[in-house]
Amino acid sequence: MSEQHIASAFDRDLETIQAQIMKMGGLVEAAIMSAARALETRDQELAQEVRQGDKAIDALEELINEETARLIALRAPTAGDLRLVLSVLKVSANLERIGDYSKNIAKRTTVLVNAGEINGSAAALRRMAREVERMLRDALDAYIQRDAELAADVIERDHEVDQMYNGLFREFLTFMAEDPRNISSCMHLHFIAKNIERMGDHVTAIAEQVVYLVTGERPSEARPKADNTSQTI
Amino acid sequence: MNDMTRVERTVDSKAIKIAANDVQVHYGDTHAIKDVNVEIEDKTVTAFIGPSGCGKSTFLRCLNRMNDTIDICRVTGDILLDGEDIYDKRVDPVQLRAKVGMVFQKPNPFPKSIYDNVAYGPRIHGLAKNKAELDELVEKSLRRGAIWDEVKDRLDAPGTGLSGGQQQRLCIARAVATEPEVLLMDEPCSALDPIATAQVEELIDDLRKRYSVVIVTHSMQQAARVSQKTAFFHLGNLVEFGETGQIFTNPEDPRTESYITGRIG
Repeated sequence: MSEQHIASAFDRDLETIQAQIMKMGGLVEAAIMSAARALETRDQELAQEVRQGDKAIDALEELINEETARLIALRAPTAGDLRLVLSVLKVSANLERIGDYSKNIAKRTTVLVNAGEINGSAAALRRMAREVERMLRDALDAYIQRDAELAADVIERDHEVDQMYNGLFREFLTFMAEDPRNISSCMHLHFIAKNIERMGDHVTAIAEQVVYLVTGERPSEARPKADNTSQTI
Repeated sequence: MNDMTRVERTVDSKAIKIAANDVQVHYGDTHAIKDVNVEIEDKTVTAFIGPSGCGKSTFLRCLNRMNDTIDICRVTGDILLDGEDIYDKRVDPVQLRAKVGMVFQKPNPFPKSIYDNVAYGPRIHGLAKNKAELDELVEKSLRRGAIWDEVKDRLDAPGTGLSGGQQQRLCIARAVATEPEVLLMDEPCSALDPIATAQVEELIDDLRKRYSVVIVTHSMQQAARVSQKTAFFHLGNLVEFGETGQIFTNPEDPRTESYITGRIG
């Protein structure tokens, strides 16, 4: 919707909450990559930065909630405006969760720094995190450009993240079976892999909000689910 | 999940009360209503929205032939009430208006007592055999107008002495006294304060148990609050007609979107 409101203050309010979402998105993207890099390079300091940085993300979510509540009360948005306001609320909640997962990865990193390395897994986790970060960047681009096709593409790509998680899950099982001394590290690494897989789900939820915002309809539920570890023994 | 949707939003009846087919209205050379086709359901509140001059009031006035009183106004096409053409020569407009009642923007009680305001219609249409029946009808109508408790002790007082909100509810009571089947309301709350507006809106929701209500309103929020169906008029065209929730969350036509979101369109 490129047309302007007759009440220009309404336009400014809507622009403000979207700008806040983009700012939050930028912080979350950085948090994902920093957390993955800290894990791979065993960088305690960087991990600590990620943990600290989550406070800013949470504060932004609070701010967005307040601004949105105020906008609903004062402007009673309808149609496309209403869908935008609803999407802002949901997207900020999803971003906040992704921020929490990044923080949790950083927390586990501080423990893992003092443990033995599990052959190549940190690099694999970083590749997985990079994929999720790209998906998030595309989802936010799709959001700001109102691009439902790009959003649909992001939803499809979650499949790959799920596949990566499946692979890691099996790998960690193997390592733990081989040598019980690996169990502690592998447990942490597995939680990290699961965190990244969950991030992918939240990014998918953001992309679904974009589809709803643009088309007014929820995307069909038939998206491929590839995380089959819940059935693995 | 479907059974958890709010019941008051569901349309109770799918029966068509009024069907308009290819309706055109001309005021002299001005083409005020263009090719309007719409089906108004029974026991449903239908809201007409649109910018000033879009034709919504003109179209509303077609539904009980109020436009007959304007010499230069010409209405073509069919408007069927329960399948009968209301513009048929055999239809008496006065009888029609008893069946299709109307409430106006400004409360306009007769300069008579509260009682006589309501009793007027039933008297001229011979709806009561005696005083007792008339008393009963007046009370019932005032109750349906949600104003009985406020006026029952002063039925002989002049209707014009009531507050604006009370006068409007008196006018609604007067309109329902002839047992209409359809109630047309042209901006019924625009002269009322928020409390009186809320009372009239509550009343409208109650009235739809018995009648088909059609309301013209400039307040989009009012349309959203009281109606189950919404029709958007623009430049004499019926642009979009649909379920109110759909119109206000995901309208199909960009002109509807522009109008309800307050954009220039």
